[in-house]
Amino acid sequence: MKSGEYTMKVNDNCVGCGQCTAFCKLDAIEVRGKANMTAACIDCKTCSAYCPVKAIEA
Amino acid sequence: MKAIIIGSGLGGLLSAAKLSQSGYEVDVFERLPIVGGRFTNIPYKGFQLSTGALHMLPHGPTGPLAQLLEEIGVNVEIVRRKPNVVIRIPRKRGDTDYKYGHKDILFEDFRTQFSLLNRIKLIYYIVSTRKNPPTGQSFEQWCRKHLDQDWTYRLSDAFFGWALSLKAADVPVEEGFAIIENLYHYGGPGVPMGGCKGITNALVNVIRSNGGIIHTSSEVSSLITEDGKVTGVIAEGKEYNTDIVLSDIGHPATSKMIGEETGILGMDKYAHNAAELKPSAGIKICLSSDKTLIGHGGVLLTPYAKRVNGINEVTNVDPSLAPEGKHLTMAHQCVHWNDMDNLEKEIQLGLEDLMDIFAGKEYEVLLIQSYSNDWPVNRSPSGADLKNKTPIPNLYVVGDGAKGKGGIEVEGIALGVKNSMQDLLIK
Repeated sequence: MKSGEYTMKVNDNCVGCGQCTAFCKLDAIEVRGKANMTAACIDCKTCSAYCPVKAIEA
Repeated sequence: MKAIIIGSGLGGLLSAAKLSQSGYEVDVFERLPIVGGRFTNIPYKGFQLSTGALHMLPHGPTGPLAQLLEEIGVNVEIVRRKPNVVIRIPRKRGDTDYKYGHKDILFEDFRTQFSLLNRIKLIYYIVSTRKNPPTGQSFEQWCRKHLDQDWTYRLSDAFFGWALSLKAADVPVEEGFAIIENLYHYGGPGVPMGGCKGITNALVNVIRSNGGIIHTSSEVSSLITEDGKVTGVIAEGKEYNTDIVLSDIGHPATSKMIGEETGILGMDKYAHNAAELKPSAGIKICLSSDKTLIGHGGVLLTPYAKRVNGINEVTNVDPSLAPEGKHLTMAHQCVHWNDMDNLEKEIQLGLEDLMDIFAGKEYEVLLIQSYSNDWPVNRSPSGADLKNKTPIPNLYVVGDGAKGKGGIEVEGIALGVKNSMQDLLIK
C-alpha cells in the first residue's frame, strides 16, 4: 500500500488530460477527470515534466 | 531577421515552418519535453492516442490546414473516406435514445428527419441566410425562431459539440453559419496518416531543414520590451534577441507575460478582453476493440446520446494507429461550463452512452481524457476569438486562442496563422 513517504502530489491545475499516465513507465497513474498516483508510484518524477499545466508537484 | 515562437503547438509549428521557409532565423521554445502541444500522438499500450485532437482534420485534404501545409511544402497524406459523416438515429421514429436499436443515415440526408413544413422552410433559408446572414443571437435562438423541432436542437448540439465542443446555445449565429458555409466550401473531414504527429513531425522537419531550432524543456519566463516593442525573450535564464515574437500560448497567458506596468497603449483593454475568454471543455473516451465499432473512417454523430456528440474510428483509415488486429475508437463530448464541477458524472454519462451506442459489441476503455481551463479543447470558444494582433506591434498570438472566422479547431488555427503571416511577411 502507498504510505505517507511518497511525495508526488497532483494539484488543482490538473484537468485530467492523461498525458502523465502515457509517460509513466510503471502504469502508476489513474486518470478519470483528474490524475491520481497509485501504490505503484515510486516518485521517479518523470510524469511531472510532461504535465502541460504544472499540476504534479514533486 | 529573427523570429521567436513561444510554444510548439500546431499554431506555433505552422508559424515557425512558414517563417523559416521565408528566410527568418527561427527559435521555437517549448516548455514540455515533447513537441506538438495538443496536436501530437502519445503512445499508450501500443496505441497511438493523442494529446488532444482526434487524429482528424475537420475539412480533410482540401481545408485551410491542408492548403497551408501544402504551401509550406509539408507532404502528409490526408485521407477523406466515404461515408464522411453519418448520423445515428433511433430505429423507431419517436424514440429519444438508442436503447431499442438504431439506424445510421448519411449526413447529406439530415433533411429527411425534418417535418414537411420545416423541409420547405429549409430550402428557403439556405438561400435567404446566404444573402442576409443572421446576426446578434445564438445559433440555438435562431433555430427556435425558424426551425423549431426537437431534431434541430439535437443535430446542432451534436454537430457543434463534436466540432467546437460547444452547445448550439453558446455558438454565435454568425459563427455557426460561417462554419456551415465552410463545410460546403471546403468539404468534410479526413485523417492524416500517422495521426496528429504525422503533421507535427513533418513541420518539425521543415523547421529544422531550414535551420530553425526547437528548444524543448525550455520555458520562456518573460519578454524583453523596449519603446513598446518586444526585442527578446528570457528562456531558462538566457536572453534571446529577436525581431518578432509569435505566441502560441493563448491571449490570457500572453497578456500576463507582457505584464501591466509597461505603459504600452491599449494594454488595459487587451488584458481585460483576454481575461474574458472562456476556454471550451470536453471529454475524450478512447476505446480499443478487436472488431470495428463504427465500420467506417468518417464521423459518427450521435444526437440521441445523453452526452457523447460524435465518434470516430481512425484505424479504418490508418491501421498503424493501433496494434495489429485492434481498432482505436475515440468519442468526444462537450462539457458545458455549468457542468465543470461534476466531471465524474459527465464521464459516467458518456460511458453509459457508449454502452447504448455500441450495445452488443465488445470493447475496452483505454483512457478517459478531459480538457478544460489551461489545457482546454479550445483556448477561445469559437466565435469569440480575439484576432492575432496584440498591443505590441511585433508580437502576434497564434493557435486555438486566435482562430480565424468560421474555422473549426485546427482549420481555425491555420486561418489565424495565415492571417498573421499575411501581416508579417508583407511588412
